[in-house]
Amino acid sequence: MASFSTNEFKSGLKVLIDGDPCMIVENEFVKPGKGQAFNRVKIKNLKTGRVVEKTFKSGDSVEAADVIDLDMEYLYTDGEFYHFMMTDGSFEQHAADAKAVGDVAKWLKEQETYSITLFNGAPLAITPPNHIELEVVETDPGLKGDTAQGGSKPATLSTGAVVNVPLFIEIGEVLRVDTRTGDYVSRATKK
Amino acid sequence: MMGRPTATKNILEARASLLSGLRSFFEARQSLEVDVPSITKAPASDPWLDTFTVKDPAGLHVGYLLTSPETYLKQLLSEYHCPLHAIGKAYRANEKGSEHAIEFTMLEWYRPTTICPFQAMVSEIQDLVETLTQYGRPEVIAYSDVFEATFGLNPHQAITDDLVRFSSDLLGSKAAASLDLDSQLNILFTTEIEPHLTNHIVINFPTIQAALARIERDGEDSVAKRAELYIAGREIANGYHELTDAVEQAARFEEDNRRRESLHRTVVPRDNALLDALTSGLPESYGVALGVDRLLQVMTQSKTLSECMTFTGHL
Repeated sequence: MASFSTNEFKSGLKVLIDGDPCMIVENEFVKPGKGQAFNRVKIKNLKTGRVVEKTFKSGDSVEAADVIDLDMEYLYTDGEFYHFMMTDGSFEQHAADAKAVGDVAKWLKEQETYSITLFNGAPLAITPPNHIELEVVETDPGLKGDTAQGGSKPATLSTGAVVNVPLFIEIGEVLRVDTRTGDYVSRATKK
Repeated sequence: MMGRPTATKNILEARASLLSGLRSFFEARQSLEVDVPSITKAPASDPWLDTFTVKDPAGLHVGYLLTSPETYLKQLLSEYHCPLHAIGKAYRANEKGSEHAIEFTMLEWYRPTTICPFQAMVSEIQDLVETLTQYGRPEVIAYSDVFEATFGLNPHQAITDDLVRFSSDLLGSKAAASLDLDSQLNILFTTEIEPHLTNHIVINFPTIQAALARIERDGEDSVAKRAELYIAGREIANGYHELTDAVEQAARFEEDNRRRESLHRTVVPRDNALLDALTSGLPESYGVALGVDRLLQVMTQSKTLSECMTFTGHL
């Protein structure tokens, strides 16, 4: 198994800590003028999302985690698993469970491409594109003529996500939404 | 980028002003500025310092890059018995980080005195900080006081087993158990105490960390007559009431090499030039080493050391 020495530590590096896949968020070299060197590291557990601080003796090694991010297209859900397919032409499919998908479920749209984090070959986490275009399936009737700033109202999108939209948005319109914040960005430009 | 300076013009101006301020400070105190070679025959024996080796184009060994000008300055001190200072580059392999660089600027100064040398050293460090920085006069605290306040233990009496339970929280129990007393003290001090030292001089260190400082009785305990300056949670300077006993010095070299062996690190040749300087009569004196880039870092409140260095692209 590959491993990384503390002097190879840098943010973004994926390592195995107590069996869990983790990512180094921040690495600080600490050394008193006279004395042993340490690396104080902020580590994000990729399973739980929790960030912890850990200290290593400089020169020690940590096992590399078999973690890769791959682009995959969302196909469908069978109720238990969410199925994705590689976009590299291999048609290779991967099934992610609800734990891996988590909150991202509300952004899953067929034929859209997602970044899938695989740990030991199995989906660990799904990252949606920063912006996604989705159709409004439910919202209160629009107020004609009110295109100025001001109020907003909730709208339910085709994936089930609920976002706050301006009052003039109507059912059937396609919206551009920021998946990181859940905010409405604009109407999608109609082709 | 490789070719461009890392420091801004403002930082370079602050750097120039600090360097000239340091020179005026020592000139006013009748200290002789000397500059010494960058290459030395003997590498530092300190178990945790890694020294660069210098080779000629044929691959033949020439010497080592200085980790500090200590030996040269002590040779001068034993010859001329006058206050001395040097501002120059020092080199330490494998030290890279937001507060470390493999090449950095070090100020080191020595003053022979028989009148309360340790107290004189502490006041001179205080004067320097008060004169040259915005931080004012540093407060003096004993290592044992600050350690006891944090961990509830007398560090001079503590043994490895007492400290493992604290260091386990940081390192995990397996790695913590593999540390010796010196490293236990270091990790606890740097992690839990150092960040809170805003402008302090810590005095009287555990004897395991004596390095080249004298050891004296302090009530019940033996302590190393070492003083360290910390500003804004960073180690800035390190001073010793210097060891002048050649026999004791030789014993410390042996001890350093024993520790190097047990840590599976390279054993280093004995620094005979330093031993000769002590044998021929090093006057009673104190010596302080100060990281100039670090001092500039805290004075300019820069996030990283490299912002305070003119070029770091090659490092």
